[in-house]
Amino acid sequence: MNGSGRALLRLFTVQGVWNYERMLGVGVGYAAEPLLKDLKAKDPVRHSEAVVRSAEFFNCNPNLAGLAVGATVRAEYDSAPGPQIARLRTALCSPLGALGDQLFWAGLLPALVGAALVVVVLGGGLWGIIGFLVAYNIVHVWTASWSLRTGLAAGMGVGAAIGSSWVPRSIPRVGLAAGFAVGLAAPIVANWYLDPFGRLSVVAVLLVAALGVVSGRLFGARMTGGRFALVAVLLTLVCRLILR
Amino acid sequence: MIVTPLVLLSLIVWGTLVGLDLVSVAQTMIARPFVAGGVAGVLLGDPMAGLRAGVLLELFALDVLPVGAARYPDYGPATIAATVVLAGAPWELSLGLAGTIGLLVSVLGGWSLQQLRRMNAEAVQRHAAALAAGDSAVIRRLQYTGILRDAVRSALLTAVGLGGAWGAQRWLTLDRRTAVALTLVVIGAGLAAAIGGALRSAGRGPRRNWLAAGLVVGAAVAAFL
Repeated sequence: MNGSGRALLRLFTVQGVWNYERMLGVGVGYAAEPLLKDLKAKDPVRHSEAVVRSAEFFNCNPNLAGLAVGATVRAEYDSAPGPQIARLRTALCSPLGALGDQLFWAGLLPALVGAALVVVVLGGGLWGIIGFLVAYNIVHVWTASWSLRTGLAAGMGVGAAIGSSWVPRSIPRVGLAAGFAVGLAAPIVANWYLDPFGRLSVVAVLLVAALGVVSGRLFGARMTGGRFALVAVLLTLVCRLILR
Repeated sequence: MIVTPLVLLSLIVWGTLVGLDLVSVAQTMIARPFVAGGVAGVLLGDPMAGLRAGVLLELFALDVLPVGAARYPDYGPATIAATVVLAGAPWELSLGLAGTIGLLVSVLGGWSLQQLRRMNAEAVQRHAAALAAGDSAVIRRLQYTGILRDAVRSALLTAVGLGGAWGAQRWLTLDRRTAVALTLVVIGAGLAAAIGGALRSAGRGPRRNWLAAGLVVGAAVAAFL
């Protein structure tokens, strides 16, 4: 099958036309297009049907979208029935979303960001940023390549291939690293900022931080960190105005 | 700080790349605030200002899980605006204002992402017949116009952020005590966001213990510094 290099490149823009109608669907269709080209010569009708299916509704974590692209393209070449391929796409949405979100957004990313913040504030400066980008993108690009290759090899059996792969096994470990890294970074970053201020200021910052954590626990998603900050800034300005 | 037209242009180009990186193209993580801020600081000739603004907004970004159709702030262009406020100024007095401008721009960025998604959906609806006919050219066109739309969104957001930063520098003069109070408040709120986000991700499992261990080790390291 030709076109896997171009499909891999296109996977990095899989969210290019993300929307509430088909979510990742069109992006998946765009990534699958070079892989489906050989089918056009073999079976033009099947190719046309495959293109339609490839751009239908789909959603998952973009880092693992290659598994869906590869598996559905392989199934098209293997002449699997159309409704079965559509069911495979639907079945892949939730697991690829959950696994990818836990692995990348809640695991690898906070782990590397936490480590990079420590390097940056301990004097590494821009080297911390460069190290972070290199480390993240090695995993990012390798995972995209692995996803596409695994999907193309497994076809309709992609569920079993995912289940026996490194992805589910590595999630707990990466999660622990993320917890530790963010925990490590928070006091070191706080110290970096609070160094020039007096002890009273440190107490004030700790109080604001505690209030923020408690309000986040009390109000849940309605009180994000950003919203709490804006409310706290507004209250501070009002207090300062009254005290003048 | 006086920003020359060339630097202004380079900041808008950087903001556009950073905005695209958040969702549409590559996701190489140049959209992370400490990356966006670090580079913006270099462009402005004050790398430390970029790191100060970037690390602060990174604490807020750690609270965000960009999952599914969730609405989340766009911290990349927002950090560039915050860096402009901070560049060339004493950070102890300007970080509060810079952080506030950054947070406001990030909220505007979140709203603009929703509008982008709606516009993308309308484009897909307009081409529903061609998609149902299996027209590959339409898939390509939708993809390219979607990315172009996001580039315009990112450039506009960066420009608005830079305008806000310029306005804040020019018209918002805070007395020393208020400026310091704002700085302390945004640092405290940033720490709350990072720890709150980590607690939420940790749930009740062993990850919470590792978070606690990290906090203890971090506090010990901070005490020795």
